[in-house]
Amino acid sequence: MQTNVKQCFLVFITAFSLTSLYAQESKTLALEDLSAFKPQAGNWQIVGDVIINPTVDIHAHQVQAPVESGKKSKKSKEVAAPEHPKAVTFSAGKGILLNMNNETIKDNLVSAFEHGDIELELEVMVPKGSNSGIYLQGRYEVQLLDSWGIKDPKYSDIGGIYRNWEKEPGKIYMGKAPLSNPAKAPGLWQKFKIQFRAPKFNSAGEKIANAKFISVELNGVKIHDNVEVPLPTGGPIENNEMATGPLMIQGDHGPVAIRNVKYRLMKDVQASLSNISYKTYYGNFKVISDFASLKPTASGSIPELTCEVLENENDYGSIYTGNLTVSDDGDYKFILAYTGGGRLIINNQQLTNFQSGDGWRADEGMINLKAGSYPFEIYNYKNASWMPPRLGLSVQTTGTPKTLTSFNSYPPADQPVSPILIEPGNSPRLLRAFLDFKGDTKQRLTHTIGVGDPSGTHYVYDLKSGNLVCAWHGKFVDATPMWHDRGDGSFKPQGAVQYLFNNEPLAFLTTPSEPFPIMLQETQVSNTPYKGKGYSIEEGTGRPVFMYTYNGVEAEDKIYPDDNNRTITHEVSLKNRGAKPGLYYKLAEGSDIITLPDGLYAIDDKQYYIKIGAGVQPTIREINGKKELITTIDSSIKYSIIW
Amino acid sequence: MKKIFNTYFASSLLILGALSTSAQINKTPTEDDYYKIISIPAPEGVLLEAGGVATLPDGRIAVSTRRGDVWTIENPTMENGSAPQFKLFASGLHEALGLTYKDEALYVAQRGELTKLMDKNGDGIADVYETIYSWPLSGHYHEYSFGPKIAPDGSFFVTGNVAFGNEEWWRGESRVPWRGWTMKIKEDGTMEPWATGMRSPCGLGMINGELFYDDNQGDWQGSGGIFHLTKGSFTGHPGGLKWTNQPNSPVKLTTEQLYAKVDPRMERFEGRAVKPENIQDEKDPNFLYELKNDFPEVRLPAIWLPHGVLGISNAEIISDETAGKFGPFTGQVFVGDQGQSKIMRVVMEKVKGEFQGVAFDFRAGFQSGVLRMNWGHDGSLYAGLTNRGWGSAGTATAGLQRLMWTGKVPMEMKTVSAMPDGFEIEFTYPVDKATAENLDSYFGRNYIYKYHPAYGSPTTNDEKLNIKGVKISEDGMKVRVVIENLKQFYLHEINVAGIRSKDGLPVLHNTAYYTLNNIPEGAKLPASELSMKRSKPVVAPAKPKIVSSSNKKLTYAEIEPLLVKNTCTACHQVSKRQVGPSFADIAKRKYSNDRIVQLIYTPEPKNWPEHETPMAAMPQVPKDEALKIAGWINSLRAETP
Repeated sequence: MQTNVKQCFLVFITAFSLTSLYAQESKTLALEDLSAFKPQAGNWQIVGDVIINPTVDIHAHQVQAPVESGKKSKKSKEVAAPEHPKAVTFSAGKGILLNMNNETIKDNLVSAFEHGDIELELEVMVPKGSNSGIYLQGRYEVQLLDSWGIKDPKYSDIGGIYRNWEKEPGKIYMGKAPLSNPAKAPGLWQKFKIQFRAPKFNSAGEKIANAKFISVELNGVKIHDNVEVPLPTGGPIENNEMATGPLMIQGDHGPVAIRNVKYRLMKDVQASLSNISYKTYYGNFKVISDFASLKPTASGSIPELTCEVLENENDYGSIYTGNLTVSDDGDYKFILAYTGGGRLIINNQQLTNFQSGDGWRADEGMINLKAGSYPFEIYNYKNASWMPPRLGLSVQTTGTPKTLTSFNSYPPADQPVSPILIEPGNSPRLLRAFLDFKGDTKQRLTHTIGVGDPSGTHYVYDLKSGNLVCAWHGKFVDATPMWHDRGDGSFKPQGAVQYLFNNEPLAFLTTPSEPFPIMLQETQVSNTPYKGKGYSIEEGTGRPVFMYTYNGVEAEDKIYPDDNNRTITHEVSLKNRGAKPGLYYKLAEGSDIITLPDGLYAIDDKQYYIKIGAGVQPTIREINGKKELITTIDSSIKYSIIW
Repeated sequence: MKKIFNTYFASSLLILGALSTSAQINKTPTEDDYYKIISIPAPEGVLLEAGGVATLPDGRIAVSTRRGDVWTIENPTMENGSAPQFKLFASGLHEALGLTYKDEALYVAQRGELTKLMDKNGDGIADVYETIYSWPLSGHYHEYSFGPKIAPDGSFFVTGNVAFGNEEWWRGESRVPWRGWTMKIKEDGTMEPWATGMRSPCGLGMINGELFYDDNQGDWQGSGGIFHLTKGSFTGHPGGLKWTNQPNSPVKLTTEQLYAKVDPRMERFEGRAVKPENIQDEKDPNFLYELKNDFPEVRLPAIWLPHGVLGISNAEIISDETAGKFGPFTGQVFVGDQGQSKIMRVVMEKVKGEFQGVAFDFRAGFQSGVLRMNWGHDGSLYAGLTNRGWGSAGTATAGLQRLMWTGKVPMEMKTVSAMPDGFEIEFTYPVDKATAENLDSYFGRNYIYKYHPAYGSPTTNDEKLNIKGVKISEDGMKVRVVIENLKQFYLHEINVAGIRSKDGLPVLHNTAYYTLNNIPEGAKLPASELSMKRSKPVVAPAKPKIVSSSNKKLTYAEIEPLLVKNTCTACHQVSKRQVGPSFADIAKRKYSNDRIVQLIYTPEPKNWPEHETPMAAMPQVPKDEALKIAGWINSLRAETP
């Protein structure tokens, strides 16, 4: 098998979005007080930390959180009914927005700012059984709900675009279910990224474009992709559609905590080209100076910047000049995309320059401009017959780029690949592949196996270290990267992947503060005391039982979905333990680890839980700036991962 | 001229024409008359991208696939007209590119380990996937692993591809231990590094208890070839030398020692690494044999498989152990090729203690690349096929086909042996004395491949063979060919297009490719015993006659001999994409004739990013012939505006 000459050409540029937006600076809500919001009944407050007991349903023991105002919230935690475990506890401080409504105090939270087109990021945390919603423009709701463990989510589950309750034909909107359910367990932080476009109106006030969710991501998984919302959803701030409106968060259905709110308001970018003229040259040019001083074969002016002025598909040079007008002061990023070589000059300042006749690139250059008009120059040439002529120029600040060239000058790529998606059938589906840990190719794991369970709860196990690497719910894996064409040997889990940690979890430590060993690529496998022995298939369940030896200790690993397939339980059994002291097992690592009741530990800033059965007393220690949850092990250990 | 002659005989048309009055042939035989390809139908939806083929003791065939499955196939011969039965034995393996049966288990090479698959509960489905030995990987796409083959002591041989550089994406490199190596692994999980120099060691074979492997043309491998792999061998690709400093390395040669002799050409220009290309008219090119004196580990190919002629991506090596069920070639060796979707035949002999020998074409026409082969109990050869990501002459992506002997023996050169003064050719039938005594029935050339960091090598130091005379044995089965310009280490190409069997059959595959690493000692034939006859009028077969009127548009029949002779047709067809682009597609690029000639001599594979296998430089194509080919290619554009 031979070298892939193709690989150096695969960095093709996908089409630029034609949406033309000028993005303002990203803003972060400090959440030091409630000044960013309109006054409310007092159910919303700013707190320092929120800890949710994931086992307590808010409906079973209605939370009592009588607070009169945000300012006095610090004292509220002493007030809750003592006879029941509380679903939500919190401590004074800043940075987290918390709703603790009751029967009478239950206002929605409405932002002081109004928005049209917006990019919004935030993290939410809900207790068991709770319900809220994020209303874009106060009118289009992305549902918040404790939807943990739901296999086929509806519009009414977390991330769903909610329905309305109209009865009249033509006004009814039934909502849209998320593409999948990446929901986490109650009490864990869940991350939303929303790109929203407001409805558009003509000068007569008639709507000419529906409101649209360009993208909604929950926990890193896209759950809506270019979905229009034709009408306001249920419970809007006003039952009409407008160019702008406030952000609104529902406060009357149950507790919800929110943090890390960032948003960027977008408006149409005011940048255009004018007085565009071109010069074209034909010949096999190696660098720009080969043609720039020649007499052009053709020249003229064009209303729109495009490489369609070329008469030959190859062996050409071209120069485009004209004026660029921008109507706002600011930092502008220009992207010159082209085949061949290219150079971009704006206001006599060179922003990009790549001189080779066979590139297929998109080069970026930044420039600060005051509102006004500036000269621009573009040089483009190509001597690579296998590529079509392409020239695209777009401008961007920090949001979506605006294209300044004609559609045909840089049309979208037209050879999409049908994905190869793998799902378990009636029994577990095992599949070995490389896995990029946390999506990072530099942390590629090479001896990993994915185990897809018919229940929809899947995991990846590292046979090189006997370690549970990650787990997720939903669809199993995308094997396209491995099986399309030559492939690169890797697959991608299809869901909100909860990564755990890398390297061997079982080790003899001479002191309780000694780090667990880290395998180096150059010495891995053969020179470590760890030896993977593979796996056997358990009769009946079809699940793998992994086996390995470590310094003579024989280990057996069983990993299976548990608790209605919402969690994963991991059982490690040892034989030939021997008498050597100091055998430890690592259960988790993260930036912090919080001890909760009933053997629960919240790991890594409340990203997931570890639950340990009675009788095991793990310790939390700090190694290299990270917290670790470890325990001694003699014959077996059993614990669950909840996320 | 008769249309029935196919490409193999096109270059001998003129000679045949001259002789056809005496030879009475009803129909020119083809490969299909002797060996039939039969497809084994897989259930719809099963993509049988074969990575390994094993035969089970009960006659079932097991196939492992690049998608990680192992299928067992019952009744693969489709006896009684019933369809074969497919059963999924194992799945989830990491691109399983080799499969072997041993002691009630199947052993499979995954990318990162040797795995033993066992069915303990007897339901015909594997329930234990035991790791025998796991080796490091960096995670590069090209880190494929192949095998195992079983050594006489019961242990397993496995080979591993090199990765490629990031910036130097053309340069094979060994990022972690034992990439670019052959490993010998015991059942108990211990591993002994065996040999290095491997680039893309896709084909392994055990022949009489000895390990052979073939490599693929690429950087440092001028052409495909088969190496006899004794412990401690170095077969040319320097990637694996990175680990010869390890205490258990049987190879002591270091990268630095090698690079002191051969420039790896790691050049940079304006901040970027420059891909080394073939140097045309190179003054003093390096050849691998030159390093043998300095470095005892250097192992030359026992057999060169000339690139573009006998394959472009050589694969499985298997010896004929069917005791005649597969025809007259018992004990000989068959080699699969992925890109050309065909099987070659090889015969080796030991001269001065080292293996060398001859290679022939054998059977083309498989539906996809021939990656793996194994013998069925009926003596047919099962070929596991795949081409994903590389392309092949057979245009299907995958499949399983078997090759069956029809019972008819073809007229072939059964073998060719080195002699002190030339070669002895043994035929499968007695030869017609008149044609065999005529020196014009023979022609040939010798050449060698460069040892350099560029991708592949042109044939170098090409020289026409000076055939002094021939001597036919009493029984007519053997012909001694005495050659004046034998060259040690060179590949000798001998064509016997003019020879007929006693019954008038032409030789089915009329070119032998003999790798002459050693010239045996011994008596030379006295000139008095040689026939030096030549037929009149002489038509030099080495130069196919081409109408050379510059204005006349050549027909395909007219250009075909040139295309075949220069191995163009190994990768290009007129209008269909094969390994390379079709001639018609090349014509669309509107290159000038001179530019096409330039591209023949110095290809620019990046011009064809959608074709996975880069073209090797072909500076050996004579300029006048290259120009004719270029003119013909461009004439295709006019025909299809």
